[in-house]
Amino acid sequence: MKRLLLGLLLITGLYSYAQEKHTISGTIKEKRSGEVLIGASAYLMELPKTGTVSNAYGFYSITAPAGSYTLIVSFSGFTQDSVKIILDKNISVPIQLLPASVPMMEVVVTSKKKNDNVTKPIMGVQKLSVNEIKNVPVLFGEKDVLKTIQLLPGVKSAGEGSSGFYVRGGGADQNLILLDEATVYNASHLLGFFSSFNSDAIKDLTLYKGAMPAEYGGRLSSVVDIKMNDGNNQDYHANGGIGLIASRLNVEGPIVKDKGSFIVSGRRTYADLFLKLSRDSAIKNNSLYFYDFNVKANYKINDNNRVYLSGYFGKDNLGFGGTFGIDYGNSTATARWNHIFNSRLFSNTSFIYSNYNYNIKINSGNNNIIIKSKIEDVSLKQDFQYFVNNDNKINFGFNIIDHRISPGIIDASGTSSFNPTNLPIKYALENAAYISHEVSPVEKIKLNYGLRLSAFSILGPGDFNTYDSSGNIINTRTYTGSTVVKSYINLEPRFSASYQLQENSSIKASYTRNVQNLHLLSNSASTNPTDLWIPSSPNVQPEIADQVSLGYYRNFNDNKYEFSSEVYYKTMQNQIDYKNGAQLRANANVESQLLFGKGRAYGWELFLKKKYGKLTGWVSYTLSRTEKLIGGINNGSWYPAKQDQTHNMAIVAIYQASKKWTFSSNFVYNTGNAVTFPSGKYQVNGQTAFYYTERNGYRMPAYHRLDFAATLQVKKRKKSEGSWTFSLYNVYGRENAYSIEFKDDPNDPTKTQAVQTALFRWVPSVTYNFKF
Amino acid sequence: MNRFSVKWYLLLLVLALYACTKVINVNLNDASPQIVIEGIITNNPGPYQVQITKTVNFSASNTYPPVTGAVVKITDNVFATTDVLSETSPGVYTTHIVQGIPGHSYQLNVVTGGQTYTASSVMPQPVTLDSVSFQHTNRFSKLDISAVPNFQDPIGIKNYYSFAQYVNSKNLKTTVVFDDRLSDGKYISIAIRNDSSYISIGDTVLLKMNCIDKSTYDYFYTFTQVSGNNNFQSASPSNPVSNISNNALGYFSAYTTQSKKVIAK
Repeated sequence: MKRLLLGLLLITGLYSYAQEKHTISGTIKEKRSGEVLIGASAYLMELPKTGTVSNAYGFYSITAPAGSYTLIVSFSGFTQDSVKIILDKNISVPIQLLPASVPMMEVVVTSKKKNDNVTKPIMGVQKLSVNEIKNVPVLFGEKDVLKTIQLLPGVKSAGEGSSGFYVRGGGADQNLILLDEATVYNASHLLGFFSSFNSDAIKDLTLYKGAMPAEYGGRLSSVVDIKMNDGNNQDYHANGGIGLIASRLNVEGPIVKDKGSFIVSGRRTYADLFLKLSRDSAIKNNSLYFYDFNVKANYKINDNNRVYLSGYFGKDNLGFGGTFGIDYGNSTATARWNHIFNSRLFSNTSFIYSNYNYNIKINSGNNNIIIKSKIEDVSLKQDFQYFVNNDNKINFGFNIIDHRISPGIIDASGTSSFNPTNLPIKYALENAAYISHEVSPVEKIKLNYGLRLSAFSILGPGDFNTYDSSGNIINTRTYTGSTVVKSYINLEPRFSASYQLQENSSIKASYTRNVQNLHLLSNSASTNPTDLWIPSSPNVQPEIADQVSLGYYRNFNDNKYEFSSEVYYKTMQNQIDYKNGAQLRANANVESQLLFGKGRAYGWELFLKKKYGKLTGWVSYTLSRTEKLIGGINNGSWYPAKQDQTHNMAIVAIYQASKKWTFSSNFVYNTGNAVTFPSGKYQVNGQTAFYYTERNGYRMPAYHRLDFAATLQVKKRKKSEGSWTFSLYNVYGRENAYSIEFKDDPNDPTKTQAVQTALFRWVPSVTYNFKF
Repeated sequence: MNRFSVKWYLLLLVLALYACTKVINVNLNDASPQIVIEGIITNNPGPYQVQITKTVNFSASNTYPPVTGAVVKITDNVFATTDVLSETSPGVYTTHIVQGIPGHSYQLNVVTGGQTYTASSVMPQPVTLDSVSFQHTNRFSKLDISAVPNFQDPIGIKNYYSFAQYVNSKNLKTTVVFDDRLSDGKYISIAIRNDSSYISIGDTVLLKMNCIDKSTYDYFYTFTQVSGNNNFQSASPSNPVSNISNNALGYFSAYTTQSKKVIAK
């Protein structure tokens, strides 16, 4: 029935343009650098309803009856452009916008299209440009997109200073993080204190909180779609920053002027250089650093064909006095080909490679051990966008991912106490096809509905076990060659609708089903570089989430202010938890250590943003609940998930005091995480042990913190500029509890005590940024 | 393999740089007292003891009320003999005839307060502890000395071990367990790490090595995550996996034991 309906709508959509109509299309770019602009709006002045927004490659398409028009193109922070056109055939109009001479605060907002957030039939979405985040104060002064999104409603931090996050009650592994379409499996450096993304290399970020369009799939809670800068195709430029613990350098320029450009960004921390200064050899021999590179190049073959190559490589290296070392990192590569078939049909083909690996070296006595683990994806992604007419757009395509997961290889010397072990590689094929249709069937109503068909196949060779309830193997089936062991096929409907109440207000509703076939096993309090990804298998069913949401949107004061209020309810099936004392490391039978259950999350998110003026920023508030029901835990009753935070609030304010000084501040407050504390104690084996009555029955203390930053523009010449950023993290030095441990009182053996550990009181930082 | 925790080292570093700790007051709920049973049979000659106590609230002092007047029996399943234990001091029950023999399976039966608690454990074959050596590690600015037991793990058999250390006759109260899941048939030399207590050169170190069964291993593996000296507890701590029925806390273990006393160098 659903498919029939879809077909019908498609046909009516296709036929509705069978009059004398032509199409204007082209690419919208920034004039000075040649960077394509994503999300710029374009419309015909004479037909204000014809508006559209440029896609991820800056491509736009507008269809209108023959005639002469004025095409208006605008983008926040840029001067509006208007072009007179005579539309008697399909024409191509490339657009180049100039940055507004003064920063975006003084741009006069006239375009009607500034209210996309109200009119588009898509909800639970947040867009951030690097421009917006550059002034938000963060830990260690390293601006960071993943930390800034934690200040948005519905997004929670995974911990003090962490780049990990939870979206609408989902787990940290339920976020799909894409860098130029490539999956990034571990988006953090140094145990999460930095994200993998160097903000110099990033153009913008879009966060979908569950209600993602049909072209995205594979994770339950969210998609974080990050696009890298393309590089300046006019002139060579360099910019960078020197900070207390990290420095960055970014170089970009044309390959062939107007036709192609490149960008190379690098970053390295040097906390370990301070360790080297120590006279103590035990400290001297430790290493602790990360570096990452982003490279991208693009070349326009002709007006209809453009190719992009982008890559990321990051590595963390930690070593402790030669006895223990770990290095880990992601690398991704994406090759893309944009092809414009005609003014209505846009195509993008991507070949993507993604790799995450870690190596652990242990050199202890006669035990020389190397542990290696890797997850590797090769994928092909084909997307089409068909602009039927204005307000009628069809997206369709497919995606094939070949997963190869090597959970662990242990190399051990002959004298070692351990046997060399080689856990078998897991193979899986993740296929998906999707179609979605954005249409306005009647005035004021817009729909975006679609369907994603996902097929996940577990492939041989390998042994596949089934287990009894106590984890013993009851049956083993051996598969040789690349035979299909098991396939999970799921239909994922995606639906959202908006109804425009007034010019600047609307209500929206959505329903989405998401399916996840790769699961992260992590039994520690924070994410670890050695957490284990496993694919769905005969024992591990795909995780499925269904989310409904409803929202009210209103812009006021000439779109200067943006307000939204959304409620959501989400159910999650086949959620994973662990048996007591689960052995997750180097365990071929890791699936026998798991428990399965379900989850539910619901909440109310409020967001008020001031977009223009000397003072910009936002206030976000989330009231929510996240619960789990896992057989064998808390007697099979619902209990709060760790990330269940009843109240979560953030205030971000950026004030441009003068051309020289910018001040910014943010304040966050949230209810403490749900935790398990003891309710009693006893003695076993001469040691104190704690007695637990229920999982997550207690709360950590509430978390709050104020940060402050000031940026001073020191010189601004034609060719170069420099600025100093001073920041103070945790201004009033609150000792926010990072952990609470229970232990014997070292001074009084007849007593026990609770000890709170707090990280980061008053972390000052200073960074010098330059550009020439 | 768990001892090589990345997080542990990293956190230590962060803590050293930025963290501050303090003792706080946490408002913990009271729980109704639970029964705790600790029963041991070793391959040393008897008598052996079973201790029965109750839990107390977290804020109470570390004295645990004994459970008196229980009926405690241990059965040797091979010889089919049952020993009825006598309460020799409050909450401490002592055997008369039962002897620990490797390969034998033992059954514990406790009746108290109208409830019956049962558990069983098999005494594994002993593995010879050849020697104890020492390993020096520079951990930041501290020299860390660890005792290293050296022994041959028998091939083709699942073996589980636990270790206890006494330094200058003082029990370090750290329970370390090890299994041969990744080490079957290897000659094993593993440093027994201490988190809070340290060994100095010249100390007399008594290292105990016990060969335990799987249920005891599971118990202590999960116990180390919730005991009072563990620095970094797991994300969701819970009561250790006990082999005693009816939700009793504690364990019943039949194990072989041996020890070596050496001077640390």
